[in-house]
Parts: sequence; C-alpha cells; structure tokens
Amino acid sequence: MMSAQSLRGVVPRLQRVFGSLLPPHQGAARLSPCCVGPELCIASKVSMSTERNQNDGSKRKVSTAKPERTAHRGNTGSSFSLFTAGAARKRAEFTKGQMGDTLGDDAPAVTKVSKTAIPIKPLSIDEWKKLKAEGYNKTRFEVSMMEKLLSTRADVDVAKSLLVFVTMETGTVEYELLLKYLALCVQKQQLSEVLDLYVILNSRFKVLDVGAYSLFISGFSKTDHWRQAVMFLDSIKKMITPSPRNYGDIIISALWHKEVETAWRLFKEMEGKNLKPNEDTLLAFFDCGKSFCDDQYENKMMYILSYLRDNQIYPGEQLMHSIHSWFESIPGNSWEGHVTTILHSGECQVCNTVLESIQLSEEEYNLLRKHVMNDIIQGTDVFKKTTPQELQHFQTFVQNRLPFDVVIDGLNVANITAKGNQSRILLDVVSHLARQNLRLLVLGRKHMLRGTASWNKGHMAVIQKCADCFFTENISEDDPFLLYATMHSGNHCKFLSRDLMRDHKACLSDKNTRRLFFKWQRGHQLVLSRYNPGHKMKFEIIPKYDTIVQTTNNTWHIPYDEEGVERCSYEIPRKWLCLQRHN
Amino acid sequence: MWLRVTHLLQSTGRHYIRQLKSRVKNKVPLTSCQIMPHHRTLVLTSCVKNEEKKVNPEQLDLDIWKTIMRENATEAPKPVPSEDLEDSFLAATREMVQMWRLAGKTVPENITEEQLSTVQELPSKSAKKKYLKYLAIKEGKKKATKEKRKLKQEGAKDLQKEKENEEGIALKNTYLLQFWQRSFDALYNWRTVQSMMFGQPLVFDMSYESYMAHREMENTVSQILECEGYNRRSLDPFHLHFCNLNPEGSYQKELLKRYGDAWNRLLITITEKSYVDIFPKDKLVYLTADSPYVLKTFQHDKIYIIGSIVDKSIQTGLSHANAKRLKLATARLPLDEYLRWDSGAKNLTLNQMISILLTVKETGSWLEALKFVPKRKHEGFFPLPMEQRYYSRTRNDENKKTNINKPQTKARWQKSSLRLNQPVERSSDSHKKRWWTEEH
Repeated sequence: MMSAQSLRGVVPRLQRVFGSLLPPHQGAARLSPCCVGPELCIASKVSMSTERNQNDGSKRKVSTAKPERTAHRGNTGSSFSLFTAGAARKRAEFTKGQMGDTLGDDAPAVTKVSKTAIPIKPLSIDEWKKLKAEGYNKTRFEVSMMEKLLSTRADVDVAKSLLVFVTMETGTVEYELLLKYLALCVQKQQLSEVLDLYVILNSRFKVLDVGAYSLFISGFSKTDHWRQAVMFLDSIKKMITPSPRNYGDIIISALWHKEVETAWRLFKEMEGKNLKPNEDTLLAFFDCGKSFCDDQYENKMMYILSYLRDNQIYPGEQLMHSIHSWFESIPGNSWEGHVTTILHSGECQVCNTVLESIQLSEEEYNLLRKHVMNDIIQGTDVFKKTTPQELQHFQTFVQNRLPFDVVIDGLNVANITAKGNQSRILLDVVSHLARQNLRLLVLGRKHMLRGTASWNKGHMAVIQKCADCFFTENISEDDPFLLYATMHSGNHCKFLSRDLMRDHKACLSDKNTRRLFFKWQRGHQLVLSRYNPGHKMKFEIIPKYDTIVQTTNNTWHIPYDEEGVERCSYEIPRKWLCLQRHN
Repeated sequence: MWLRVTHLLQSTGRHYIRQLKSRVKNKVPLTSCQIMPHHRTLVLTSCVKNEEKKVNPEQLDLDIWKTIMRENATEAPKPVPSEDLEDSFLAATREMVQMWRLAGKTVPENITEEQLSTVQELPSKSAKKKYLKYLAIKEGKKKATKEKRKLKQEGAKDLQKEKENEEGIALKNTYLLQFWQRSFDALYNWRTVQSMMFGQPLVFDMSYESYMAHREMENTVSQILECEGYNRRSLDPFHLHFCNLNPEGSYQKELLKRYGDAWNRLLITITEKSYVDIFPKDKLVYLTADSPYVLKTFQHDKIYIIGSIVDKSIQTGLSHANAKRLKLATARLPLDEYLRWDSGAKNLTLNQMISILLTVKETGSWLEALKFVPKRKHEGFFPLPMEQRYYSRTRNDENKKTNINKPQTKARWQKSSLRLNQPVERSSDSHKKRWWTEEH
C-alpha cells in the first residue's frame, strides 16, 4: 500500500518510463486498481476509472495541464508501439513537456520587411524609375524585384511592365531576369507567354541551363506542345541526371494525352536511374487508368503496385483513394475496397485474410546474418567496435550455449528509468523473464561487475544465476553482440532493448539489407512498454504480419500514410486499404 | 456658342438656387441636397480595375520588350560537333557552368580544364554545385586580396615620394641593426634544431590518407602547416615526427605542393615507419577524443601522438581503433573537467591541439592551455578545477545549493545538453567512483 506522498512521486516517474508510449497522465490512471486506494486518487487529484480498457474519452481531471488524449488500446490492432507512425513525434513532444518547455517553441521566423513596396498594378517606366531610386538595392533591383513578384505570386502584367522598363533602360534583358520571369509564367500558368519566352531564349542562347529546361518541361507539358518537353529532358540528361519532378511532369501530360507507351517508357527509365517517382506521378497513372480498360494497362498498374512493394513505398491518403477507385472501376471483376486496420494476429478485419508473416525466409535470414557480421560487427576495422580476441571469445561463448530465447541489453534495460537502482531494475526484468522458463542471455559491460552504488554485487550474482551473462570491455560496443547473439539463436529468439538500432542499420551497405534488417527488427524486438517496481511488466506486442503492399489471388492489402500523421523512416503506417474481388 | 454655354450655366445655377430654396422651406437637411453638379467618383472595386486594364494605355506596350529582344536576337551559332568526344563533354560542362553563371548561381568566372574535369566526375548535381560554389568563393577571396595589395602598394609609393621630398633625413644613431625577419628565422631555426636533438617528440600519425576526401586532405595539410609554424615560434618546441607518411601518397604530394622547396629544409623528422617502431611502446600515448581516459597532467617523458585527420563527416572511433590495435595508452583532453561545454564536437583541429600541448608544456596549467579551445564551443571555465570542486562538495553540504554540478563525462558523439530543473539528488552522482576517470 503506497502513501499519497509516494504516489505523487510515482506519477512523474511513470511518465518517464512509458511517456514515449502513452499520453503522460495515462500511466497514473492505469495503475493497477487493486493497489491504489480511493483516498489516494483524491490526494493526487486523479479520478480514475477502474476499467482497464476504457476508451470512452471521458474527461479526467489531471493535475498536469496537458491536452487530453485517449489511446485506443486493446486488440483492435491499432495499439501504439515503437514502430508505428507518429511514435517519434509523440516522444519528442513528451520530452519537450518534460523539459518544462524551457526551450519554447521555435520562434516564428521573422519575415524581413522589404523596404521597397511591391506594386500590384503594371507601372509606367517613370514609376519604375522612381521605385528604383527609392530602393536600397540598386545593383540587383530588377532581379530582386522579380523574385519578390515570384514569391508573392504577383500578376504577370506587373512583371511585363518591369521587363519593359529594363529594356528601355538597358536595351536588353539579362538571362537571370528572363529565367525568373519564366518561373513566374510557369507558376501562373501563362502558357502562351512560356512559348514566346522559349522562342526568345532559343534565338539568343545556344544552350540553356538545367533550371530553364526544367521550367520549360513543366510549362510545355501543360500545352499541346508537350512532346517537345521530351527534347528538353534529353538536353538535361546531357548535363546531369534529371529529377523525378522532370520525369513526372512529362509522364503526367503523356497520360492525359493518352500516350501510355511514352509514359511507361519514361517510368521504366526512371526506375533504371534509381529515381523514386513522386506521389502525383503515381496518382496520374491510377487516375488516368479509369479511361483505359485493357489488360495491358492493368498489368502495368500491377507492376507499379509491385514496384511499391519492392521499394517499400507507402502511398499517401490521396493516392490510396485513387488506387481504390481505379480498382473499383475495373470492369468484370467486382473489386471492393475498405479502409481498415489489421489485428495483431495478422488478420484483416474486413476480409479475414491473414497477411504475410513478418518472419524472414531462410535465404533472407542467412543473407542478413552474413551482412550483420560483416558490416555491423567487423566493418572496415574490427577494432572500432571491439577487438578480434573479444569477438572470438564471444563467438565461442555463444556457440556453447545456443540457442537463447531472449537476449537482453543489460545497460539499456537498467537505465529504463532515471530513478531507482540500476542493478535492481535489471534483476527485476531478468527474474520476470526467467520465471517464464526462457533461456536468457544478458549483455553488459565489465564495469557492471565492479560493485558500485548503482551496480550491487549481490544483484549481479543473482542475475548470473538466472541467465547467461557476457560482459564486454568498457570501451566496446554491446549492441553488435546483441544482434549477433539473437541472429545466431535462430528465428524464435527475441532481443530486449528500447534502442531503435538506427546507427547499426546505417552501417549496412545496401538498401535491400537495411530493409531486411528493419523487418527482422520489427519481428524480433521486445520493448518494455510498462515498468514500475513491484508491478506487472508489460511488453509491447510484436506484430505477426509484415507492413508492406501485398496481394493474394483475389485480395490486395495496401498500407498507406494517413494525412496529418508524421511518419519517420523507422516507422510504419497503421492504416490499410483492403481490396477484395467478388466473383 | 458662348451664349449658349453661359445660358446653360445660368439655367443650372438658377435651377439649383430654386431647389435650395424649396429645401429650406421644407426643412430638409442640407446634406442631402445635391448642390454640386454630378462628378465622377472613383469607386474601388475589382470590376473597375479590370475595366481600367482594358483602357490602360500601357497595355499596348507591355510586350514591347519582346519585340526589342527579338530584334536584338543574334543568330545563335550552331555548335560545331567536335571530333573528340572528351572535348565535347568538357565543352558541354563549360557551357553548363557559363549558363549557371548567367542564371545567377555562385560559380567561378574562370575555370581551368582540370577543375572542369573534376566537375564532370562529380556524381550528383548538388556535389557539382557545392564544388563550383567553393571555387567561386576561392576566386572571390583571391580577387579581394589582390585589390588590397594594390591599394597597399599605392600607399607605399606615396610614402616613398613623401620621404624623397623630405630632404636631408638625419641619420639615426643606433647600436643595433634593424632586427629583420631573417634574424628571427635564424633564431627559431636554432631553437628547433635544439629541440630535434634534445626536445620532447610529438608524433603526427599520417596513416589516415584513405579515410579522407580530397578537400578534407587539403584542410589537414593546411592545419599541419600551421602546426609546424606555431611549433617553430614557441620557446621550447617539440621535436615533430610525421610517421606513417606514404612517400607515393597524395598526402606527400599535397605537402610538397604546399611547402615547395622548403620541404627538404624542414626541421622535422619525416618517416614511412610507424611510431611503434621508433619509440618504446610504454612511452606512447595516443590522444583521441574517444578515449575513456583523461589526460590529467602533461608528462614530459611521454610521447604524444596526434592523428592527423580532418573528418568532416565525423568518423567516430577511428584513431581509437588504431590505438587499440597497437595496444597503446590513450587519453583525451580534460575538456569536460575545465570547461562548461556548450555545443560542437570535442575533436579539435590539429593547430588547436599543438597550441594546447605547447602551452601546457610550458606553463603546466590547463586553464592557460584550454584558452585555445574555440570560444563558440563552450560557455567559459568552471570557477574551480575538478578535484577541488569534488572535495569541497563532499566536505560541506552547503555547496549543494550552489549550482555547480560536476560535468558529466560524455563521449564525443553525445551532444551535451544543458540540464535545467535538475533535481538536487543528481549531485549525489559525484560521490560514485567512476571507472573511466581513473589514472591510466
């Protein structure tokens, strides 16, 4: 039985423990009801519901003035874990709150007040002269004025009058000014003006720069002269690799002009150059697809979907809707689509299809194991992270004791809360897992054995009884050993750490292996979501399914990014589009 | 005609007066009567703006510039296809750079063939732009120094003329000849020679050639030049050793390029051999920011090694790995112990390192020596050095209230963050003996 005093102390600590995973006050509200008396609730001003899975969003009065959020938990499949989209954002917000907002929000960028007013109507030459005389930047007055017009999306006529003024003053117009004017015309969709500019620039200059070609591509691709944009693309290719935007502009216009073959050729070319197509390029493919209904086009769309799968690209919400309506527009097969979430078991809630497993295939597993050894542990220099002797020692140590069920990152677990004794916490976690009859391996560093205030020798002795332990040198890295031991124990083995392992993932040499690593990590990383001394430990649920675009004979499941949710590269979307065919 | 106009005016006048009279009779407020004849008012609405555009006389000559430009248009010469493919590629790149210049990007005015081929080989657009920007900035600086020199020379000429005008300069009576730079150099050289015979060695490890990009290597060589210069001018110079220097490597090339003829007259030891082969192992200490051990006191009988590498993309643990491989003692500077570290990496440049080492060698005080750490990286010194702070805190608890927290030793890859609202209990950490602060 705790006293009110101690509970007050517990609340912030709890928040620190799983603040990354829960709204700040929720932890307090979820204290096991059997051990908190009602009088304590009054003391800490937290009125709690004794139901565990309540998501009715009833307003709780909370001592901390934080916005109320309810996490919908349970078996709905939308539980929050380390890898779901938005987790990092939440963590950042939480730590910001912890710092007491001393950092403050980013101050709004102070916009420079321009000393020269931006005209909204075409000016005469004399008026421009006057404005230039008043302006402080006399040398680049015209260019900076044109830039301002561009940034304020001003009328083209104003820019024209400026050009008239310049030609009257100097008798010619500089390339830079013309380029800015071209940008303005493209921005305002003044297509006839773009064509005129092309004639002028072409007669004056032998070649243009990449920026001009890019602008012409996006300008021309909106007109009937869009085929010329392909020539501009070739001119860019002579200098540098074109951008996905360049390709995208032409592809979109080709599709609108029903030139599927050209669009497809360019798409393939992009793929060959390892460029990732923009969202709106893909959107155009699906949007225009409704007007074609031949098998060839359908195959192409299927190819695009498999491209998304192979490159682990998740469509945004708009593209998802477009894919959805394209599928439903296919004649003959009556496709039906729903937005859904997936249950933990990997079952789709709409069509009950079981999704692909998160487990790697034998071949992938071996490949990843090899890469982890070569890139992460040894790298270019074994001495960077360990020493050959230590590595050898560890390998023999692991060989003799395989296989483990859980490999524990001792230091990471021990530092899960700022308060409390480190060896005590580690002992708690290890004994909890040992009670479940699991073969454990605890990795740590040698300084843990020294017997200090935070590393009690007695605790360490008990830990060594419950689990196999390996202590690396104080200057070695322990994470690579953790990965190695987990991988070599086989597919059933999990590792316990809150580390996202991003730096180790970055050591891997190629994109494909990094993807495999991330997939393996999602399926094998145990995360302690809740820990407070003397209470039940809770681990985050490991999903059984892989979040990737996937298909069976008559279903498609496509994970997509919700609008308004920020997703980091080490996170995965939560929402899915489920498509099934009724024959 | 005139009559008619006057008549009209009179009639309207009469009409208004009549109106006025009747209004006064009927006690209608004056404001509502329209005394004045109708006149055009300017109503600010968008519709009117559009109308105005239509009637705007300037609308007609808004496209004047186009016609002028077309008239000026010179028939663009058709590019002559050159026989050599490489040449045409170079020409294309040159044209691209020229066009970028016209488009107002920061690219150099003049560019050599060598630089052009470098631009061509760079893989991405951003890399090309960066390199060109670097060249442009370099060019700009060159120009600025040239102009400055011109001004200086003109000023000197004027002075000369003035002196010539002042006839009959009295000869000064001095017992010393003027102490020229030449004499200084001789003095420094004698000192350095002395240090080469009896001085304390300081090793620069030149084995990091393969880890650096070309630009980084150029920076390293610049820093080495500064090191050598600073060492030569000090009262008690180190005996510098450049070890592991590959005679065929790009390092050597760059050094030769920068030193020119002076390379063979340098008063330092340059060798392909490793420091392990020259010196006893137990005397060597490798200085690296990744080391867990702190250099508490500068020892005059030890030989310190500095890895000469500029790692702009921070390569953690590179030199530390080298030291581990050779089983050498390592140490890092006591930055955290003396400075309130703010931001920035704890790896210092080579010239900062040698300045610090020379100062601590002469004075024995870290406070003096660490003044060479860039000011932007820290927020000043701690009022008391570490040991004293530690003792004073354990002796009386009153100091707990003062906000002197023992700095937490952090490795170089960790960003030091200023902890606010730290609970007082944190300071109890300082009682714990730490495994990494022990003397090696």
